[in-house]
Amino acid sequence: MSAPLHIHLTPGDEAPLYRQLVRQVVAAIASGHLAPGARLPSLRELAKTLVVAPLTVKKAYDVLEERDLIETRRGQGTFVRLDAGSSSREATERLRPLARRLLVEADLANVDPEALSLLLDRERTRLREERETREEAS
Amino acid sequence: MSVLELTNITRVFERGLPVLDGVDLTIEAGQVVGLLGQNGAGKTTLMRIALGMLRPQTGTVRVFGLDPCERPVEVKRRVGYVSEDQVLPPYLRVKEVLALHRSLYPSWDADFADELLGRFSFQGKEKIAKLSKGQARRVAVTCALAHRPELLLLDEPAGGFDPAARREFLETALQLLADEGSAVLFSSHHMSDVERIAGRVAVLDRGQKIVDRDLDELRESTTLAVLAANNGVVPLDLKALDGCLGARIVRDELHGLFLGSPEAVRSRIASVSATQSPRFAAITLEDLFIELVEGRR
Repeated sequence: MSAPLHIHLTPGDEAPLYRQLVRQVVAAIASGHLAPGARLPSLRELAKTLVVAPLTVKKAYDVLEERDLIETRRGQGTFVRLDAGSSSREATERLRPLARRLLVEADLANVDPEALSLLLDRERTRLREERETREEAS
Repeated sequence: MSVLELTNITRVFERGLPVLDGVDLTIEAGQVVGLLGQNGAGKTTLMRIALGMLRPQTGTVRVFGLDPCERPVEVKRRVGYVSEDQVLPPYLRVKEVLALHRSLYPSWDADFADELLGRFSFQGKEKIAKLSKGQARRVAVTCALAHRPELLLLDEPAGGFDPAARREFLETALQLLADEGSAVLFSSHHMSDVERIAGRVAVLDRGQKIVDRDLDELRESTTLAVLAANNGVVPLDLKALDGCLGARIVRDELHGLFLGSPEAVRSRIASVSATQSPRFAAITLEDLFIELVEGRR
């Protein structure tokens, strides 16, 4: 059995569907909704549930695999890696473009550095609270 | 061998205006291509040519490597087609229409046909004449899918459908895709449907193909730059720049759609506007389509 995934894709959004899927799986791993070792649905299962082309799911899984968050074991399925989320220099390298993008976006939106770090702190707290609620529940 | 291969297709109607002007389009097995374009862009004509219903004045058409005008039966047996204006015999019942199609297609899958009828909530004894437009389309869809075609040509297939029926239709088409790996050419004005099923989009504008690319790649490689209008820069200035796909005035703004990253586009725009720095906007697929087509006017 694969873990229940609460994913909702929105066509008509500014982000392509596969990007939305990547983002939501990453968030599920980060918040502990998807634990290390959890099995993900197969391409076909997930494509059917989300009513999208299997290719869209494949693209998302490829990105997640490239980021070392999930792995496909032949004949068994796709799983969240046991070391998903562990920190390393490589992980920092992967975060760099995201950090850069955040800075550029903040600059374009006229959000000053202080407001940005406040925003980050607030999100960090929220994420921690979500994780704790999750642990209490299970 | 490609499933569909259209090369340099030109079709001119009587008054001499080209409906299609040198269009190339190739589709491989398993590919789903969304065919986009405003009304009158040539989408329906292109599909009819692919099916062998119309002959182009120039160019070659190959379906499974065959010319559909010369080998109509062999080609049509392996193709499914749904169009907006399809007419079913009004005096027949749903089951009878299916039986008629069954006799024409050796690969007809009766179980799949029954499954589709059930999904579309048909008993089978309904008279075609008594069906609503949307219901009649569902029968046509069943006929187009039940022989598990290797190539599916869908011309605004969900045109008369309500949102629930459109969803149902998409689920059915996706199932066929997953099961068979059929190639699909699919025109729609519903961009959310295109996003759900198309891996690639081809955009027709006034008879010419202006874009043919992986859908996500297209979205992630284009950038919309927004400037103030009437401030020294006009659409033609942007259109002259490298990678500009279209530019137009929208109320008090000047929009330019570019291939390239915001950083690259910013420096290109700096060469025509010393004073103004553009703002970059994230856009939906629908916006992208509108900017692309309207920006060429």
